[in-house]
Formats: sequence, structure tokens, C-alpha cells
Amino acid sequence: MKPDNFEQELRRQPLRQVPAEWRNEILAAATARHASRVTRHSFLSTLNAQLLALLWPHPKAWVGLAAVWILILAVDFSARDRSSTAADRSAPPSPETTVELRQRQRLLAELIGPRDTPDTDRSKSLAPLPRSERMELMAA
Amino acid sequence: MRGLELRRLYDEHAQALYAFLMNLVRDQADTRDLLQEVFVKLARDPDLLDGVREERAFLIRLAHNAAIDLMRRRGTRDKTREQFAAEITSPFAPASEPDERAFRAALAEALAELPAEQRAVVHLKLWEGLTFEAIATALDIPPNTAASRYRYGLDKLRERLRPLYEEIK
Repeated sequence: MKPDNFEQELRRQPLRQVPAEWRNEILAAATARHASRVTRHSFLSTLNAQLLALLWPHPKAWVGLAAVWILILAVDFSARDRSSTAADRSAPPSPETTVELRQRQRLLAELIGPRDTPDTDRSKSLAPLPRSERMELMAA
Repeated sequence: MRGLELRRLYDEHAQALYAFLMNLVRDQADTRDLLQEVFVKLARDPDLLDGVREERAFLIRLAHNAAIDLMRRRGTRDKTREQFAAEITSPFAPASEPDERAFRAALAEALAELPAEQRAVVHLKLWEGLTFEAIATALDIPPNTAASRYRYGLDKLRERLRPLYEEIK
């Protein structure tokens, strides 16, 4: 058996024919899937067109509005950062610092000496005396 | 892709794709699903054939990939089903003459026993008349691999069919 003859014999065997009814079925199925995709695509296109129609008459205004919002957000974030820094700065001093401050205050008080008469006493001496006491004072 | 173009592709290539798929999957219903899958893909992506020089080779590649995906999905679970289907679904046209009928049945069985990758190459070489380069392009394999697969496949067929072939001759 020559290989060529055998190959020729195999080639001669006719293949089964594709069923005729498949043509319309397969093409209809393929076209239907394509059509559904086109419909979905056209829905997205319509949505896109409507959004464009809404935004497009004043694009600068929309861009400006977006810029204002971005600015507001930026200022807000930076303000938050600052307030947190200030809070860090005004944190209560450590106990050692407090003790040292008190010692300095005490030292300062010792150096200056006792305070003058309180203002309440001074005001009392300047206040007008009762009439009987004023008479005794004048007689003396 | 327009309906007219899709119809042209079907009329020119469906028979070849059908025979190729039948030889690969050995099941009429699966072959129909795969053929439809190929044409749905073509309809869905109108640019799929842009820049393609060999339509037939490209479509065979689509069909082959779809068939491989199907066979992988099935896995080993349906191997017995495939063997059973090989007995009832032959890729060859029915013959009226007894010797012819017997030879075609034996050939269909022998082909079913080949590994799918050898069967694909043998089919494209014998019944599509493609060169090894074209087969390599269609199946995404090197030309030398296509040639060796063909040689191994043909040797197995020859060995299996020799007694019957000698008898008929």
C-alpha cells in the first residue's frame, strides 16, 4: 500500500453536509445577539447624549462649579490640619514644668516681699465715717 | 457585521467548519452550538476579520478554540460519551455501497481514536487541503509540530485500516 494511494483514498471520502435548516437558525441567532447588543449600545449612547445635552450648554459654568468645590474641600482639609497642630501646641505642660514654674513664682514672691494692703482695706479707710466718729475725730 | 456579510461568510465557510467541528467533538448538537458560537462572535465583533488574509484559516482557528474550550469544560467526565458518540455520529456522508459504508465507519472509528490535536491536523490536511504552514497558523502551533502530528496520525490510521483497505482494493 503506497502512502499516496492511502491518502488519496482518505481524501475521496465525502464529508457529511451541514444541515440546511441550520443556516437560518444560526444566522438568526447571531443577528439577534448582535441586535440586542446594538440596542444596549444605543441605550448607553442615548444616556450619553442626554448628559451632554444637559451639561454642554454651559460647560464653563460646570467647570467653574467643580473648581469652587475643589477649592472649598482644599481649604477645609488645610484648616483641619492647622487646628490639629494648634491643639498639639496647647497641650498641658508636663508635671516637672509645673513644679518649676511654681518654684519660680515662690522665689519671685519672696524677692518682692509681702503685698500691699488689699484694695478692700484701702477703700474701707477712704470711706466716710459715721457722724459720731467724725465728731470725736474733730474734737481730738 | 452586517447580515449580508454574515450570510456570505456562512455560505463560504460553514460546511468546512461543520465538518471540522464534527470530526473534533463527534456530536451533532455540540457541533451546532459551536458553529453558532463562531457566528455570534463574528456578529458581535464586526472588526474581527479586519486585516485577516486567510478567512478560512482564521475561522477554523475560532472554531478550534471554541471546541477546545468545550472539551476542557467537559473534562474526563464525558470521555465515555465521546466514545459512544463516535459510534453513532460519523463526520462522513452515509454510503449506499456496503464496502464504502464499512470503510467510512472504520475510518470514523479510527479517527475517533486519535488524540484531538492529531485529528485536527489530519482533518485539515486531508479534507481541507491546507499546507502545514496554514495548519500551523490556524491551530497556533509550529509548522514542524503540525507536520509531525500529521505523520503520526496518518501512520495510526494506516495501521488500523490496512486490512480493510487491502480487502476492498
